[in-house]
Amino acid sequence: MRITAEAKTATRERIIKVAAKLFAKEGYDSATTRGIAVKAGIATGTLFNYFESKEAIVAALISEALASAEQKIRQRDDETLEEELFTFIWSELAALVEYRKFLAEAAESILSPLRRYAKESPGNSIRANHLEAVEQILMNHGITAPTAVAMQLYWTLYLGVFAHWATDESPKQEDSMALLDQSLKLFVLALPRSGAGHHEHQAE
Amino acid sequence: MNTKLSDLLSSLPQDEPESGLLDSAEAQEQLKAIFADLAYKRVPVHSLHRIWTIGELSTQITLAYTALWVRGLFADTKKKEQQRNETNIRVALKMVHRLGYLRGAAIKLGQAFGSLPELLPDQVVSTLDMLHAQAPPMHYSLIREVVLAELGKEPTELFASFDKEPFAAASIGQVHRATLKSGEDVAVKIQYPGIGRAIQADLRNVTALVFPTRLTRGGESIRGQIDAMKQMLAEEMDYAHEAQNAREARALFKEADGVVVPKIFDEYSTSRVLTMEFIPGKNVSEFLAGNPSQGERDALGTKINLVAERMLYARINYSDPHSGNYIAMNDGRLGLVDFGCLQRIAPEDFKWMDNGDRFLDGKITVLESLRETGSYTEKELADENFIGPLLRHYDWFLEPIAKKGTFDFGDPEPFRRMIENLKVMVEKVYPSPPMYLYMYRTIFGLRVLCYRLKCRVDLGALRAQERKPWV
Repeated sequence: MRITAEAKTATRERIIKVAAKLFAKEGYDSATTRGIAVKAGIATGTLFNYFESKEAIVAALISEALASAEQKIRQRDDETLEEELFTFIWSELAALVEYRKFLAEAAESILSPLRRYAKESPGNSIRANHLEAVEQILMNHGITAPTAVAMQLYWTLYLGVFAHWATDESPKQEDSMALLDQSLKLFVLALPRSGAGHHEHQAE
Repeated sequence: MNTKLSDLLSSLPQDEPESGLLDSAEAQEQLKAIFADLAYKRVPVHSLHRIWTIGELSTQITLAYTALWVRGLFADTKKKEQQRNETNIRVALKMVHRLGYLRGAAIKLGQAFGSLPELLPDQVVSTLDMLHAQAPPMHYSLIREVVLAELGKEPTELFASFDKEPFAAASIGQVHRATLKSGEDVAVKIQYPGIGRAIQADLRNVTALVFPTRLTRGGESIRGQIDAMKQMLAEEMDYAHEAQNAREARALFKEADGVVVPKIFDEYSTSRVLTMEFIPGKNVSEFLAGNPSQGERDALGTKINLVAERMLYARINYSDPHSGNYIAMNDGRLGLVDFGCLQRIAPEDFKWMDNGDRFLDGKITVLESLRETGSYTEKELADENFIGPLLRHYDWFLEPIAKKGTFDFGDPEPFRRMIENLKVMVEKVYPSPPMYLYMYRTIFGLRVLCYRLKCRVDLGALRAQERKPWV
């Protein structure tokens, strides 16, 4: 029997949905691909036709949430660099908020900077897409070639905010909101002084 | 504390007061530079950083005053005045620098200090006044996300219009103008995320720093006052509490009073966002800049005092008599903004007000009322050297109420007399109940405000009128 493309997509979506529930219930580290397959009503072997690992499932889940966030982010003309970055990152985090419970463990597994050099990590594309969006925002504000060090500084700050947010117990994650605000002020100050972004910051 | 003693010593006043004296123009220049610098300061979110900075600040103030006191033993009076002046300016500049940096907690502490002229006289009071309007802003994206998190929608969806630029700085947030879809002009006060909880953590640290181990009788009293301050700050950070305060205050005034307490719009308010009726007009500083006539000054001053008396009899102390909180409306009415700092007066503390009335009725002397408090021994009450300054302080306080007819608040003589007496009082320690911290803030704050207004008010008649319904 041939499986239609629609049926394939539906199964893929079901796996992601079931996995999200299981991660939330059992914790990301404890959940297994076998457990996910059972809950999704498919054979473990079938699951591997869709995702090669648990990491790949959570990476897909995050990517999809982020993609939906990106559609919602409208660029506002009057936003400064700092504001646009703030909007971008906070909207992404807001899209992930329902998964917050297990994201700390998952992020440690797929986004940790210590795993940066692991080839074929499912987190690589998330990182690449995110940084590409950030570079685009920098470009919108006249910073065309940020240094590798500047981007690494950004990523380090971002992961710090992400980690704080994932485990933040303050009401409505308000401490993370403040931390993001402070982190971006720091990042913008570290950008080259000749960039348009800096002038904008001075004008504030 | 990691602060090096050498750093602290170098921050103390120079040894040549004649040449090193800062005139106000120079102080202004320094202030400008500091404010320019402030725009780039990051708000430290890390609690440890704040502890250190506040700790350093209190040490610097203490050391600066200690050094002044020691040198004062060898200085003649004129020199002493100069040195005091210089120290005050230096300490004020340092405080402004640190306070701006610390935002929340320290700004509130600064405002409290700002109302205690015996610690920080004129220049400092006006410096802190400036600080109030100079808190660094939140950008609109942050505002939008706070409103979204609090009210479930972005400002542009919630309101018919919303100004992205704030029109005023609140001590722990900022205020934006907006229009409701139903047409009302409103002011939306928005709190910096997480600042309230951070301030409370800071205050615990400040208490630990200021009162490490040994407690004298005066120390107990100060600790009680710090506890009162903590409770007030906790309430002030909760805008839902402020909304309730505003509702209670609003019920106290009738149209004929010419006093406007803004309406709160609950469906647009939470503990972090407060939406209230916008009150158009000028704050006291702007009012004064317009060179108002004596009649206009008197009318505004009378309303400001009416508010204080009305609330006191209702057992509420409007304890933030900051010039920015009073709005002179174009139609002559007085608008009040900011109800974060309303102190409920407990029945046992209300005796203070009762005793004032008994004194005015000639039924009790100030000395007798001090005896009734039970805070002083007979030996202390009989010692002019100890109790004298306190008696003179009460005389000063009751003078405008006891006087028949109008009292001229612009007269510098009673004002100078108060400062002189406070200088003496500050060297002695008088035990006083916790509520007095805010009561003093109100009394001095109001007197400073009325002095600036140079208003003439028949306070005795006003008090009699406000007392009537309660007799």
